[in-house]
Order: sequence, then structure tokens, then C-alpha cells
Amino acid sequence: MRATLVRTWLMVGALATALATPALAHTGEGGAGGFLAGFAHPLFGPDHVVAMVAVGLWGAFLGQPAIWLLPVVFPLVMACGGVLGIVGVPIPAIETGIAASAIVLGAMVAFAARPPLWTAAVLVGAFAIFHGYAHGRELSDGANAVAFAAGFVIATGTLHLCGITFGLLARWPAGRLAVRAAGGAIALTGAAYLGGLV
Amino acid sequence: VSAGFADGMMLAVAPTHLLAIVAIGLLAGRGGRGGFVLVLFVVGMLAGSLAIASAIRETPSALVLLALAALAGIMVAAAIGLPSILVNVLTFATGAALALDAPPQAIGIAAAIASQIGTGVAAAAVLLLVVSIATRADRPWQRIGIRVVGSWIAASVILALALRLAR
Repeated sequence: MRATLVRTWLMVGALATALATPALAHTGEGGAGGFLAGFAHPLFGPDHVVAMVAVGLWGAFLGQPAIWLLPVVFPLVMACGGVLGIVGVPIPAIETGIAASAIVLGAMVAFAARPPLWTAAVLVGAFAIFHGYAHGRELSDGANAVAFAAGFVIATGTLHLCGITFGLLARWPAGRLAVRAAGGAIALTGAAYLGGLV
Repeated sequence: VSAGFADGMMLAVAPTHLLAIVAIGLLAGRGGRGGFVLVLFVVGMLAGSLAIASAIRETPSALVLLALAALAGIMVAAAIGLPSILVNVLTFATGAALALDAPPQAIGIAAAIASQIGTGVAAAAVLLLVVSIATRADRPWQRIGIRVVGSWIAASVILALALRLAR
């Protein structure tokens, strides 16, 4: 039953990918307005927000050590993706990858998937590349570049913490249902972005 | 002179400097190296200040600081313990690079010296605070928190470093 559901989700994802138009969270606008501008930057990209919350949710769902490993790994890999964006290494379908991250990570939570830790880390790390690349492309050099980068890294980490906090509800049966429902909502949001409905 | 001192203190908490101090403080604190690290850091700052006083040419001190912060942040995030000698070298280098990257803006000699002293006092105070916190962080969630902060610092400075080098 679960395998059928996963297959269905994967088909929906593949169909949405085929029909995808670029999501608009990352508009190409840069900014070096300091820490607050950097902190606000990821918060105004709903596709980014839901994916980051999903990382935290999944980490909490998987329990120790994923609950802290994923939020430690994600920023570092995201920075590597950011470097690729800054340097200008061409990576295709970045916005599609970001939306797909919400779909896949949300689905993992919704279906209570518990893959091996290394699989979860690789999956989250791969999506971190897309998110970091999009941010790196939009970063502009300036006197406040360090503060800006610190701002959006901390905002991203804060979104993870929000997801982890909510995900801790999974310790109780009703909370587990709520967390899985949130995962489903995140996956649907990602699908909507991917299909250009948002 | 007092204005120069205050200006110097503010230089110590500029984003690049602050991240470098916190990163090296966490690295040293996790290794249980308290007082000696502080002495090394201050000696490094003195060396950097002397280099400024001897009218050294412009140095890539900001890039060095970012690179040192990235290295320290990654080590903290990965919970990799470095040999004492390497932590000592990193601490000295961070102090020297910080002093070189915070040249006094004052015109008069007295104000310039006050500015450098202000930078040194503020930087050493922040380092002492961070080392103290990291040394006392024994509970699992505290150690995880330190690793997360290390990860955030490393990610921030890697991006900033890439920006500086690429554009």
C-alpha cells in the first residue's frame, strides 16, 4: 500500500516536473543590505521556506542523530551550492530542483519514510545544493556581504529549528498525524510551485 | 582618545571579525584550551598591531580571516579535534589577521593607539566569553548547539569568501 502511494507521488512529481514553469521565489535580485536583509531574504521565498521546514520536520521524525545531523549538514552543503552559484557554474533546472525538494521532503514526512541516515543526508544535501545555488546567484558583493550571508544562513537554520520544534510533536499519536499532514501540505505546495500554480 | 578607543572596540565586532573570533573561540573551547589560547590571541594581535605601526603594506587580512573562520567553523561542525599546536597556530594567526584588518582610523598617534587597544580589549573579551561558554558546554544539546553554530559560521564565511574571490 505504502509502495503504491510512493509510486503515485513519484509519478505526480515527474508529471509536475515535465509541466514545470520557473518558480518565482528567486527573482534574481541581489542585496547587500546587511544582516536584516540577509535574514529576510529566504523568508520571502515560500518554496524555500516550506523546504527548510520540511528538513527540520524530517529530522525530528527520524529522531537521533538525524534531528541534529541534517541541520548541521544542510548549511555547509548549501554554502557549497552557493559557491557554485557565485562562480557561475551552470546548473540546469534550479527552480525545479527547489520545488522538487519541497515535494520529496514533504512526501518523506507524509509517508513517515525512514531510510538509512546516509540516504537521508545525501538526499537533503543534494537539495541543499539547489537552494544554495539560487541564493549564491543572487548574492552581491559589498561591504555587508558577510553580514548578509550570515543573515540568510541563520534564517535558514531558524526555519530548520521551526520544523524540528513542530516535528517533536510526532512523539504523540495526534502530533504524529499533524506532522505527517504538514509534510503532505508541504509536498502539495511544492507541486503547486512546480506546476506554476503559485 | 576615548573616541578612538570606542571606535576600536566597534571594529572588533564587525561581522567578519566577530565570526572569526567566535569560530576560533568555539574550536579552542571544545578542546578545553582556555587561558593559553587567550594569551596567544592577544600576542597575535600585538604582532599585527606592530606590523601596522611599522607601515606594512596592505595585506589580504580579510580573506585570511574568512578562511580561518571557515576552517575553524568546519572543524567545530564536524566535531573534529585538531592537535593543540594547530589550534594554537590558528589562534595566533586569527589575532594577527584581525589586528591587520582593523587599522585605526584616527589621525593622531594617541588616538590610533587607543583604537588598537580598544580593538584588542573587545576582541579578547568576546573570545574569552565564547571560550568560556564552549568549555562549559557539556550536555548533549549544548554540544549540538555549538556544532550548529559552527556550521552556520562556516557556511556564512564560505559564501562571503567566494564572493570576495569571484567578484
